[in-house]
Amino acid sequence: MKIDRFGFVFGALVLATGVAMPAMAQDVIKIPNIIELSGGGAPVGQMWKNGSTMAVEEINAKGGILGKKIQMEFVDTASDPGKARAGVQRALDDKPMAIFGPIYSGSVNVTLKLTNEAEVPQIMGGEAAPLTAQGSKYLFRTSFGQNVSMPKIAQYLKDGVKAQTVAVVYQNNDFGKGGRNAIIPELEKRGIKVAADLSTEPGQADFAPDVVKVKAANADAIFVYLTEEESARFLIEAKKQGVTKPLIGETTLLGQKVIDLAKDAAEGVKGHVGLTADADNPLVKDYDKKFTAKYGHRSDHNGMKGYMAPYMLKAAVEKAGKWDPKAIAAALHGLTIDPAKEPGILLNGTWDENGDIDRESYLAEVKGGKQVIVQTLPKLKP
Amino acid sequence: MSTLKRYQFPALIIALILLAAMPADLTGLGIPWTGFKRYGLYIISLWLVTAIAAMGVNLIMGYAGQETLAQAAFLGIGAYTMALLTTKLGVPYFVAFAAAGALCFVVGILLGFPALRVQKHYLAFVTLAFAVFVWLFIRNEQWLTGGVFGIQDVPRPVIFGIKTRPPLVFYWFVLFMTVVLAAVMWWLLRSPWGRAFTALRENPVRAESLGIDVRSYKLLAFAVGSAYGGFAGALYAPLVEFIDPAPFALGPSLYYLLMILVGGMGYFLGPFVGAAVGVLIPEWLRFTEGLAPIIFAVIVMIMVALAPRGILGLIEQLLTPKRRPHSDVTGPTLGAGATLTKSSAEKVTS
Repeated sequence: MKIDRFGFVFGALVLATGVAMPAMAQDVIKIPNIIELSGGGAPVGQMWKNGSTMAVEEINAKGGILGKKIQMEFVDTASDPGKARAGVQRALDDKPMAIFGPIYSGSVNVTLKLTNEAEVPQIMGGEAAPLTAQGSKYLFRTSFGQNVSMPKIAQYLKDGVKAQTVAVVYQNNDFGKGGRNAIIPELEKRGIKVAADLSTEPGQADFAPDVVKVKAANADAIFVYLTEEESARFLIEAKKQGVTKPLIGETTLLGQKVIDLAKDAAEGVKGHVGLTADADNPLVKDYDKKFTAKYGHRSDHNGMKGYMAPYMLKAAVEKAGKWDPKAIAAALHGLTIDPAKEPGILLNGTWDENGDIDRESYLAEVKGGKQVIVQTLPKLKP
Repeated sequence: MSTLKRYQFPALIIALILLAAMPADLTGLGIPWTGFKRYGLYIISLWLVTAIAAMGVNLIMGYAGQETLAQAAFLGIGAYTMALLTTKLGVPYFVAFAAAGALCFVVGILLGFPALRVQKHYLAFVTLAFAVFVWLFIRNEQWLTGGVFGIQDVPRPVIFGIKTRPPLVFYWFVLFMTVVLAAVMWWLLRSPWGRAFTALRENPVRAESLGIDVRSYKLLAFAVGSAYGGFAGALYAPLVEFIDPAPFALGPSLYYLLMILVGGMGYFLGPFVGAAVGVLIPEWLRFTEGLAPIIFAVIVMIMVALAPRGILGLIEQLLTPKRRPHSDVTGPTLGAGATLTKSSAEKVTS
């Protein structure tokens, strides 16, 4: 009886070591994603999750980064800055090599100091202008900040639309108001008058009064800066009330989700797009096909941001030559990732000292229920 | 009850020592315990801050029998008072702390004065409207509150030369403030005021006939409870070091109500238990990603179904030896209502 028990314990120990050994030898790097999986940002977070998961599967299938496999860990912020802070804090206590997310600018805002203090690179999806202006050496964008995209859209309103007056419709949260605060000085700088400055609510269902006000302003063009679902509702109401002036937007207004929701009300909408699965680029087309096949729906810009994050990490780790958070951040500053060498990055992009990104972008129009690229705008500093 | 009462004081001291020592690194004292990391410290501090706000709700609902749906709004008033006074005017921490509580007390009186003329559900509606108003105000008045961008870099105080910026020191500071505020609440509930509050809840007509000024006491309970929300806010702002309107909306106000129901309404420790459920369970459920809110809701529904008087009510029920209904010779014999009054009164004094 005694021997039996000894044998059992011994056998269990051998078995346990046998199971544990390969796991240890494999050496997996855990990357926490602190993103919006519930609450108002859930659709955004889900896109990011799908995109980043797909990228990590590809990277791991090709042998990982410097021989190490990546394991993603998804943590919900509930779209709440306080919870995002707790999530990032918990992730940082485990001394990760890098963290991904959050995507909502407010949540990035409360966490960027933590990652800066802990000296851990944070690859995030926020677009508010002030994020990269706070001097963190560990914060990196996956898309244009409003500090980059708004001058482009203002220039387009002047040259492309030839507008002398513009009505601005924005959403009253950090995303919408940040965009509004960024575009108004850019418009004024170009001699364009702001005919109306309209605040709307996140999650607003009825845009009838806002469209009435926009019509009354009688501006040459209407700049609509709302998140996807609100954009679609606004467009439907604008069509209903027979708005004829050009509707101009930035990335969200021309997204596939808006087109699906607003249907023919989205027809003719124009604007500037930072990232789009409709870009006339073989790598982006290939990405679009893979994503749609895997998840059964098309990717929007947030899916692309999530997809690029692991590839940014890969390029930086390979440049640094080692897995070390400080070295990764240092390597990303001033790094240009060329899709010829790293196809996963999709578009040629350069990250500057603040973590801001420079890459080509597009002027697009909705035609026949699809986003069509009209013109490709080159990098600011090619 | 008496068994609980006998061990109460030593248990409290042990609990406090544990709370103070548990998060610290004790390896220097020869104990193999490295304490909590920053995340653990943040969560346990958040638990205490939430418990302070919940204590206020407990006073209003559990003791004075009123209803409030505006505790998060008072938390917001406190947090913004603290943030604005310290970041923009450089006011010392404790002055700002007192101001946060005082402002909430005054607003509580102004809000309660017209509302308390009517029965309790009407107060709930007035507080609901007030909660929405406060949220809209802090979101839209950008010149004052920073609007949706919030206020950044709310400083943690320096007390007698001790910087509370390190997470462990700030946690001890929060713990100290919690103990002080809990002691004040304890004293208040045992004072004639506290007895009057309970009398109001149990039988307002009888209380009035005994010479208690029903309206003043209701108002006092509401204002003091709201001030606790303000104190909690004044600790919340330096804890997170950033505030924006989101945590002070109507939804979080309902959450405080839920914590009191789950923890045990009218029990002194109810807010601490309820806040633990409200803060810790969602954190543990993070690994479930998007499913967390659903699982949390199911857990709360099961809890409320199994323990309608809250977790502490359930514990009390389990610890109290079962008696036959008529063996209670010392209690009044005028029926169930009178017995209920007695047991509730016991709750307060214990």
